[in-house]
Amino acid sequence: MRPFDWVVLVAALVSIVAYGLYRSRGSNTVDSYLLAGKSMPWYAMALSIMATQASAITFISTTGQAYVDGMRFVQFYFGLPVAMVILCATVVPLFHHARVYTAYEFLENRFDGKTRALASFIFLCQRGLSAGFTIYAPALVLGVILGWPERVTTSLMGAVVIAYTVLGGIKAVTWSNVQQMCVIMLGLVVALVTVVALLPHQVSFRDAAYLAGAAGRLNAVTTNFNWQDRFNIWSGLLGGTFLFLSYFGCDQSQVQRYLTGRSVAQSRLSLLFNAVVKVPMQAFILFIGAMVFVFYVFEQPPVLFQQTELKRIQTAAAYAPVASAYERAFESRRTAALALVEAHKAGDGFGEAHRIAEYRAAQKALDSVRQDAAQMVERSGGEKGFTDANYIFLSFVTRYMPAGIVGLVIAVIFAATMSASSGEINSLATVTVMDIYRRYIRRDAPDHHYLQASRLATLFWGVYAVAFAGMAGKLGPLIVAVNKVGSLFYGSLLGCFVLALGFRRVRGTAAFCGMLAGEAAILATAKWTDISWLWYNVIGCGVVVAAALALTWISPRPEGLPSRTGPGMHGPCTAPS
Amino acid sequence: MPEPRDVPDEPPPFLGSWKRVYIAVLLYLGAIIFGFYVFTRAYR
Repeated sequence: MRPFDWVVLVAALVSIVAYGLYRSRGSNTVDSYLLAGKSMPWYAMALSIMATQASAITFISTTGQAYVDGMRFVQFYFGLPVAMVILCATVVPLFHHARVYTAYEFLENRFDGKTRALASFIFLCQRGLSAGFTIYAPALVLGVILGWPERVTTSLMGAVVIAYTVLGGIKAVTWSNVQQMCVIMLGLVVALVTVVALLPHQVSFRDAAYLAGAAGRLNAVTTNFNWQDRFNIWSGLLGGTFLFLSYFGCDQSQVQRYLTGRSVAQSRLSLLFNAVVKVPMQAFILFIGAMVFVFYVFEQPPVLFQQTELKRIQTAAAYAPVASAYERAFESRRTAALALVEAHKAGDGFGEAHRIAEYRAAQKALDSVRQDAAQMVERSGGEKGFTDANYIFLSFVTRYMPAGIVGLVIAVIFAATMSASSGEINSLATVTVMDIYRRYIRRDAPDHHYLQASRLATLFWGVYAVAFAGMAGKLGPLIVAVNKVGSLFYGSLLGCFVLALGFRRVRGTAAFCGMLAGEAAILATAKWTDISWLWYNVIGCGVVVAAALALTWISPRPEGLPSRTGPGMHGPCTAPS
Repeated sequence: MPEPRDVPDEPPPFLGSWKRVYIAVLLYLGAIIFGFYVFTRAYR
């Protein structure tokens, strides 16, 4: 980091926090502190939703993902627009008209207190677990790339997030998210322009895209179906729809964003904006990763991008042959790539096919050497299933980007961490106060009491997140599994909301037992099968609905309800009772 | 403590009804998937 990078970084962070606090003036009631007095315009909610969802690791690892596996990760987001349309047509007006602070409050209106408590508990477990990782993951990467101690990075980010979230509530969170998202988009555009500008002069932008495609890095759509394959069009459309239905419909960290809308229409527009923008945005980030791949076709990358592990294996006797094989493989790929570009420009079809085969063989050889190095890391006591994908983009940024741009990209990482973390802390505090404290501990206190309780709960969850981030380093491989762990909880929550909206005859006890059965089914699937985690939400939701319907079927029918085969049985719940 | 206020439901600012907006978003998704499919084939 050069002085100008520091200037850019500090200026970006200070302006984000100052603007957020400035816009949060007057948050002196619970309604304004937790729901912004229902005054937010659609564009602020839209960017806040996007920023809350996109943590720093999303940007760091998405580019790395494209480098090693191509653009097919974009299919993961194909279900998002479908989910947004379903949510806009169902829960958005329902939550607004039910006049609730949290999504789980709605479940008590529809079912009973224990169902609300179980849903709140599941949310607190899942989101509380991820809150620490949201801060820890980028601190880990920044620590390795820049040499900053993890504790300093987590404490710095945590202190800033806690300060403006406690002081300003959701208004500060939302308006700072708007700024954060602007910094993120600016940083990404500048990153793409810079990486293309850094390509060798004989390689044009079109040549770069051609080389990335020839190496399989522009494989945005794959149509083959496989249960173990996380990213194909089918898992994206079906599994992704369920995942995003769960995330945007049942996770308070997202529901709270669109509950702040000044009208139902504004909330709908904020979600539909995400439906339209999210897929191209992810494709754009992945494309940056593909261009970084092409950059490294002509500039020799390190054998491994994770410098700590690389230094460790460099001392081993077995490393020397790996390093020399890597240099030969790189030179061979570089030569093949230049020859392929020439053949392509000359329009020589036969020569082009021949050069493509050479280029792909050279790429395969290079991948194989990198695989050998990764296995050396594992054999020498490193992380099992080691991958350096998370280090590729930042390693490129710090080594090759000009002064100022490095500061901007680091600001992007900080901004993304702060936006995701503040949304999580804010929603955790809301559920703690509204679904636990106000419901079970202090029912009829005045408004200012709950306002103070909300501030204290925000402070608690902020400190917890920083403290948990400090311990996360000791959990090692768990960080790799954090997304999978998160998906262990969503299916049962989604199933409960499906019951609430679609099955009028199902009562509280059946929904409660259904959620427990769904959670058990997800845990069993995760433990004893190889099914990809993207399907857990489908399985969990299905089991919750099936178990609750079965219980409803065998239990005595309460008086006044429609018959089991009557027209109202599967009709939508028009209003919470 | 007061409950959050109810908010009005309004028609969308374009296309006349929410149903048409939803259909437009889904058509857009279809178009974007088709676009990515063509992109993948073109650079395969």
